[in-house]
Amino acid sequence: MSDMLMAPQETTASTKEPRYSTPGTWFTRLAVPIALVTIIVIGAIASPKFLTQGNLLNVLNANSTMGLVALGITFVAVSGAMTDLSVPALVALGALISLGLQPTLGPVGAPIAGLAVATVGGSINGLLVGYFRINPIIATLGTGFVLLGVSQIMTGGGILYGQPSSLSNFVGGTMLGIPVFVWMFVVVALILWPLLSRTAYGRWVRATGGNYEAARASGVPVRFVKALSFTLTGFLSGLCGVLIALSNGQARPIVGAGYDFLALTAVVIGGTSLFGGNGSIVRTVGGVLVTALIGNLIILTGLPTQSRNLVTGIIVVAAVAVDAYFRRKATRA
Amino acid sequence: MNAPALKMTGISKEFPGIRALADVDLEVRAGEVHAIVGENGAGKSTLVKILNGVYQPDAGTIEVHGEEVRLTEPTEARRHGIGMVYQELNLVPDLTVAENITLGSMPHSGPFIDRGRIAQSANRVLEMLDTGLDSRARVATLSISEQQLVEIAKVLREDPSILVFDEPTSSLGERETRTLFNVIRRLRERGIAIIYISHRLQEVMEIGDRVTVLRDGRRIETRDISGTTPEQMVRLMVGRELAEMFPKLPLTPGEPVLRVESISATGRFANISLTVREHEIVGLGGLVGSGRTEVARAIFGLDHIDSGRIEVRGTAIGGSGVRRHIRAGIALVPEDRKGEGIIPELSIRENVTLPIITRITNVLIVLLRRERAIAQEIVGRLNVVPPHVERPIGSFSGGNQQKVVLGKWLLAKPQVLVLDEPTRGVDVGAKADIHRIIGEFARDGGAVLMISSELPELLAVCDRIFVLHEGNLAAEIPRTEMDEESVMRAATGQVPK
Repeated sequence: MSDMLMAPQETTASTKEPRYSTPGTWFTRLAVPIALVTIIVIGAIASPKFLTQGNLLNVLNANSTMGLVALGITFVAVSGAMTDLSVPALVALGALISLGLQPTLGPVGAPIAGLAVATVGGSINGLLVGYFRINPIIATLGTGFVLLGVSQIMTGGGILYGQPSSLSNFVGGTMLGIPVFVWMFVVVALILWPLLSRTAYGRWVRATGGNYEAARASGVPVRFVKALSFTLTGFLSGLCGVLIALSNGQARPIVGAGYDFLALTAVVIGGTSLFGGNGSIVRTVGGVLVTALIGNLIILTGLPTQSRNLVTGIIVVAAVAVDAYFRRKATRA
Repeated sequence: MNAPALKMTGISKEFPGIRALADVDLEVRAGEVHAIVGENGAGKSTLVKILNGVYQPDAGTIEVHGEEVRLTEPTEARRHGIGMVYQELNLVPDLTVAENITLGSMPHSGPFIDRGRIAQSANRVLEMLDTGLDSRARVATLSISEQQLVEIAKVLREDPSILVFDEPTSSLGERETRTLFNVIRRLRERGIAIIYISHRLQEVMEIGDRVTVLRDGRRIETRDISGTTPEQMVRLMVGRELAEMFPKLPLTPGEPVLRVESISATGRFANISLTVREHEIVGLGGLVGSGRTEVARAIFGLDHIDSGRIEVRGTAIGGSGVRRHIRAGIALVPEDRKGEGIIPELSIRENVTLPIITRITNVLIVLLRRERAIAQEIVGRLNVVPPHVERPIGSFSGGNQQKVVLGKWLLAKPQVLVLDEPTRGVDVGAKADIHRIIGEFARDGGAVLMISSELPELLAVCDRIFVLHEGNLAAEIPRTEMDEESVMRAATGQVPK
């Protein structure tokens, strides 16, 4: 029985209960802020460009689409379903449909269709994982191949082009000096943050991931909870695809390649556990910032860009190892 | 000179709040089948785990063939010739019989396994068992009983001089039990000392030479089985003062609330009917594995039933599914608290409001202040110490966790409270609190169905007891006829009905 589990002595007159903390909780709370401060200090010293408004907005702009996916993956991970490997295909579907259907559905109708199809794709994942209880890795690997195949057949493997429209101009532009991409990420994060931390659904997500059987035996609709997490990820992947396609004016089936693991990396670095039950949108936003700034720092300091993978990899392994360590410690008691 | 194969002297073991074994002596001779019997919780499994090096005794000595040993690890136990046959099978279904038997240390030549020697080594032990089992068969194709023989063969390969069978027949039918007994007799003839743990008295009477009776962690008696009647044995197992530990509120049952009509689930239980009324606490007795937990889970909708119906206040619950059963007014405090009761990383507040969380929101957002107030109120009522609702429930003691699980369902205001071992592994103070809460729930008009392996608890708390035996209803015992012997007799299948 470890010390941290012993009851703290009750303070006499106080009605307020002491804030609960273990080595694990303070670490997960502070790791990302400390990492961010460290990166910013190093960046400020290493490169005069690092802390300029232009550079920071650039970094955010370049990472906000990945960030959207990471927000969805957060729900999947916290609900205990690890991750969604079909993200690249869902991104591609959103992107391709939003361009390819422009002639028939118009410049606004096509992106909406893209969002809808990606959402349906996500709900198929949800059905397989939540209701048929297929292992999420296997299920989304499978649907990923199927959906990618669909998008390749759709385009014949080539590139699709779109027509510039007021929507595409808006998406690729800025608002109040800040890129619309960044606005999207911020707005979605501000909506999902309370959804996970303050709503009944969010409570269900954490309960399902924390202990599936206990959640089920407490009347939590566990299958629905998992299904909805995947549906949400489908929608956000579609949104990611739509944004990329509209701003670029073109898209290929490989447009989403790598988004699954980039997003997962941000989620893990943020400190959300892939084993479920534990995580938050704030952490994921932190994880997105850390990964984004590290990449930027490497470029600015003139290190070979190839070393980005190396550094990111080390941080991921460290983050997961720390999580596993505290987890073991917690369950040993 | 003829030292016993195994001699345990003055073995004591204490867990936080529970005295599992107190000064237990056990002497097992080579070539005898020594049965150990006792109620659930009497200390049998603790004794076995000490023998297997899983637990270390707080006091006492263990001698194997006259030589004192310290069993600090399962491998140590094996090294001293102590073999264990568990009730669960630990086989790899896709490997062959021979491969499973030799799995721990496969003979190999160079980097490759040596199939010839694997077969040889496996056949040697299979011959000892004389069962005609083909060592080349894939384990997945074997029956449960044959798989158990493989399990025994696996243990025999280490040439144990002491062999422990822990509830070996729990998953076997009549014929398979015969086969097993023949094997055990053959091993006895080879001079192996056999410890046989079972709560099936008839089997113990048949296969055992001597028996040691445990009760409340103490050795009550060791005696020859010939010359002992089952009645004497039951009395030894349960004969304890029935202290009035649990004050029972005098209540008059009202209208029927829960009515279960001949529910069946293949392989688990058959044709179970029972009724629980307002203000009534009904016990569901029986041995571990008799189907008690399965019936409770089915009533709560956690498991499917093949036929039959479950009614709450005259309305049948259509279909399965926990949420439907909760809506109908049923709640279950599950047996496996860690596995199904709590979500360890969530706080007490978040755990306790889980079934009612959608009712404390303003459309979308959970009303934290109200939620906290609800949690604090119930935590105070249940006497959770310390009453810190924001701490993860996993950091509390078992008794506190159990109170929170109970509180979770009280908040849902059910009509029927099903309790599966509500006080298992809980300290005395928490136990009294839990009994008080159950009593208050019944007083306020609730219907309670309660499972407990602890007979005195059932007898003290319940108005009636249904007893299960091997998935069937063996008896319904009214309060006037309730005593330990009547329940135990029904539970061990000694009442023809």
